[in-house]
Amino acid sequence: MKNRMTLFVTLFLTLQSSLILLAPSAYAEIEQTYFCDDKLGDTPIRQGGRVKPLYVHAVDMMKYLTGKKGYENLSAVQTYCLLSLKGMSLKSDIKLAARVDHVEAQEYFDLPEGQKTILFDDLIERIRDLQIETRRIKEETAYKKAMTKLLNQTGLYQEIIQGNNWLLPAVTGNRTDWIPITSFLREDKILEAKANQAQSPFQKVIFDEVERFDKITDAPYHLEYKYAKARLPIIAMMITFLALITLTIFKKFTATLILAGITIALQLALITIRVLISGRAPITNMYETVMFSGFGALFLSMLIGHFKKEKAFIYVGLMFNACTLMMMNFATGMLSDAISPLVPVLRDNFWLSTHVTTIILSYGALALSWIMANTVLIKSSFGKLTKADEVYYSDLIYTILKYGTIMLGAGIILGGVWADYSWGRFWGWDPKETWSLIAFVIYMAILHGRYTNWIPNSRFIPLVAGAFMSIMMAWFGVNYILASGLHSYGFSEGGAIFLGSFFLAQTLIIIITTLKSNLSKTVVQAHE
Amino acid sequence: MTINTQKIEKTLGGLKFAVILLILFALLMIVGTFCESYYGTDFANRVIYKTWFFMLLQFGMFISIIFAAFLRLPPKKRLYGFYTIHAGLILIGMGSFMTYYAGVDGSIVLPPNSPSREVILSDDIIKMRFENDGRVVTYKLPYTSFGTDIDEEYEDIKLRRYLPFADKKFKWLEAKESYPNTEPIHSTQYFLKNAFVTQDLTLSLHPEAIDFESNATLGPLTVHYLPSSLAKCFAKDNPSKLILWDKQEESCFTPEEKEISIQKTKEGNRFLVYQKENIYFSFFPDMSPWPLDEKMQVIRGGSLRIFSKKLFEDSPNLFLFGTATSWFDKDEGTWNYQNFATGKKEDKTVILPWMGLEVTMLDHKERKVPGLVPTEVLPIQKNNEMIKGQTRALELEVQNKKYWVTNDTPVQLLIDGRKVVFYLEKESLTLPFEFVLTKFKMEKDPGTNRPASYESFVRLFTSEGTQNHHIYMNNPLKHMGFTFYQASYSQDRQGNYISTLSVNVDPGRPFKYAGSLMLVFGSMWHYFLNYRKRKKKNITPLVPGVEDDIQKA
Repeated sequence: MKNRMTLFVTLFLTLQSSLILLAPSAYAEIEQTYFCDDKLGDTPIRQGGRVKPLYVHAVDMMKYLTGKKGYENLSAVQTYCLLSLKGMSLKSDIKLAARVDHVEAQEYFDLPEGQKTILFDDLIERIRDLQIETRRIKEETAYKKAMTKLLNQTGLYQEIIQGNNWLLPAVTGNRTDWIPITSFLREDKILEAKANQAQSPFQKVIFDEVERFDKITDAPYHLEYKYAKARLPIIAMMITFLALITLTIFKKFTATLILAGITIALQLALITIRVLISGRAPITNMYETVMFSGFGALFLSMLIGHFKKEKAFIYVGLMFNACTLMMMNFATGMLSDAISPLVPVLRDNFWLSTHVTTIILSYGALALSWIMANTVLIKSSFGKLTKADEVYYSDLIYTILKYGTIMLGAGIILGGVWADYSWGRFWGWDPKETWSLIAFVIYMAILHGRYTNWIPNSRFIPLVAGAFMSIMMAWFGVNYILASGLHSYGFSEGGAIFLGSFFLAQTLIIIITTLKSNLSKTVVQAHE
Repeated sequence: MTINTQKIEKTLGGLKFAVILLILFALLMIVGTFCESYYGTDFANRVIYKTWFFMLLQFGMFISIIFAAFLRLPPKKRLYGFYTIHAGLILIGMGSFMTYYAGVDGSIVLPPNSPSREVILSDDIIKMRFENDGRVVTYKLPYTSFGTDIDEEYEDIKLRRYLPFADKKFKWLEAKESYPNTEPIHSTQYFLKNAFVTQDLTLSLHPEAIDFESNATLGPLTVHYLPSSLAKCFAKDNPSKLILWDKQEESCFTPEEKEISIQKTKEGNRFLVYQKENIYFSFFPDMSPWPLDEKMQVIRGGSLRIFSKKLFEDSPNLFLFGTATSWFDKDEGTWNYQNFATGKKEDKTVILPWMGLEVTMLDHKERKVPGLVPTEVLPIQKNNEMIKGQTRALELEVQNKKYWVTNDTPVQLLIDGRKVVFYLEKESLTLPFEFVLTKFKMEKDPGTNRPASYESFVRLFTSEGTQNHHIYMNNPLKHMGFTFYQASYSQDRQGNYISTLSVNVDPGRPFKYAGSLMLVFGSMWHYFLNYRKRKKKNITPLVPGVEDDIQKA
């Protein structure tokens, strides 16, 4: 029964993700596109402190402005290009609208029932009132946040349609200046290109300059373009689902092993390319830590599974990997995949790759124990597990827990050493370090209790399942709940909702399974 | 007796004790992180992390670790890893205690090219400087999170109450001294607003109102707060636009009223002569408010002065007299006058001719003193900045009068003819050598204003001569046991960069490092020594598909 359920869920998710990949562009409304086509996606732009392909920037801008990747039949690059051309008085019918999700903001704009968007052109007209209204709100409410975001979006939109956001390289010798498209496309240059009978003189001017730029730069924006186009996270996710399906339906293990191997390879490629693009260890924001923990957990589970000859490890590894890949692909509001420059204090690849990697790997390992504990809990309540099974699996959990906790401890200490090395103090009760210590202390208490047989399996397994909440708090909670501080608890934050639902779901699982569980209540002398 | 000791040892080294302590420790830390998120780092430190009970808890864990190891002696091979872990933890504990007891953790602020050797630490102190003999007395204030009564006395000075987190709240206070009835000492609160700005404005003529002034500048507008006795002369639309004011009698009049003729010099400057008690005072109203005596010398500090409204017609000037106001309307070319206090509510607001500006009178007191009084609050921190409760305040009592000293306003008192200045500061430490910032370098991410790195070039003046050093992120300077780290930077009004270095002395460092290594490698050793292969028989697989495989194995 459980078998079939898992199958359905996995199938559904696979289907859903392929639909997203194949979604056709249904409308064809905007016809006048001048020279704006997708070829421009592979040209460089400097924004946000680094050089990146226009494609990446355009998608970021569109997502920030409208929450969507394109407009009607146009791609992000086309839309961005056409908007920028408005700065050169080239008209287009694009009517971009901002999302207005906050109820008070909807009321402020007098939006009709059911309409949750407002045109940027309207916002520009009302910008003065908007500024006054935003300044009027003294407290840091969710409403103020929503209004401030609208203001920022409008500012950015204005910058784009004035042609000032699209910066192109202007190469003189070995020097590159970045100038807006409006001053880049000078009349004389266009006429010259026209005289040379270029098919699209505008594009020729741009691509000629890009060619000159490519000769003097080592910015890997072509690679980043290919990376962004390849959409490796979606492919990796589908393969992980496939691996989970083969694990449940095939008796032979080979298919699963091969698929898991492909996933690992894909994720390794994903990580390597990000390292090449950003030039640093790939663990500097939420997206990257989630990515790395999934990869690390799968790798670790395959390693332990191989040596311990136990396929249950592969199962938990794949499950957790699937979770992380789903977050990377679907929770884009919470986890931004943008690559941006680091704050100065983190610019140390040695410490990044030792301290953060250890911590994230420990999160991955503890996530394995979390998935296994939950699976055992559910199976013992709704399926059938013998006493021997219970002893055996709690031993497996204990094994992963040991690895995870040692890594967590080592990671915390490495963090202390880094802090000591660059700030002169080993420990400062910063919320991130405190929460990792809280998690460590909780796992330590469980390990001690289990080691001395003080905690029976009936309590050990739900404790391990619940203890992962402390890891989630250290990992996400510090950023999504604690960092926002007082007054901004608004549930508009995707991260807070995600964590809240996670805590609720985990607590419910523990309560329900405890009520139904047939795990033995007595201490089982298992490993001593 | 022996049995009893054993029992205590067993309890202290026992698992239950350890787990209870661990849980308590985790709980307090959870509370601590939420406190830090709501109320800020300083408050969290004061209320949890650096309190005696949190330290006691850590000491308890230390004891538990020692006894747990002690109970498992004599050594067994199986426990070698365990001993290493516990010895490592003991070392870390000792190292932390040494850091706490003998370490220094402060910061030094280096403005460009000005030498400094003051390291600012975290404790609050009150510093009393006796100006007559140069004596400096300091008293360390308690490290508390809430308002605390202190019962300390030094000579005639009593320290009363210390507020670690306070906001200055507006209050009308009774005057400490007495003043003659004629003296203009009134104060008024106004509210100014237009579409772009809103501003509360308290203006005062009271000598004790140290927090408020009698004039203000709001962009291009200058606001003048004048004695109310002058108001009636502003109301008169006299053609000369001159007003004479006798401060001694608190009265004003116009030249027209006293039939004083206004003449002109050859150069075209207006002048007039006023006779009071047989003394002649000559005024050049468009040049100076002060009169000249018969020898044509300027009389300053006298009670007479003249006021020429003409001088205030070019730029926006708002005159406030407590309950009345006057201004010049450039478009109309007229002087306007309005009384706020006619009793009608709508008259409390006056619309001015500058960008829709309105001024409303909120409150007016003839004799009371407006003051900003420190009031205890729970602090609030947002984006790493305190937005509430930034003020630290100490109440003093001297000769039955109470005064508040805050961290931003020192208090100066005359006690029996001696001048004493009180400062509420952070404790500081003087370095045995001097420091100067010769250059500050900041690089930005290309095309943005975000700093990519910041670096300080410093020169040290030591007994062995000068040394140049380069301090940047992840590259600290070590000198005479002190370590200096690039912490942050700020900018002064001229835009010069000021560098902040954190200064650190940590005698516990080697212990903590050694302990950490022992902890990590001890854990690995422990699990290695206790590794045992499990037998796998008749196990239901977690994933049903691989059943056969397992049976084969």
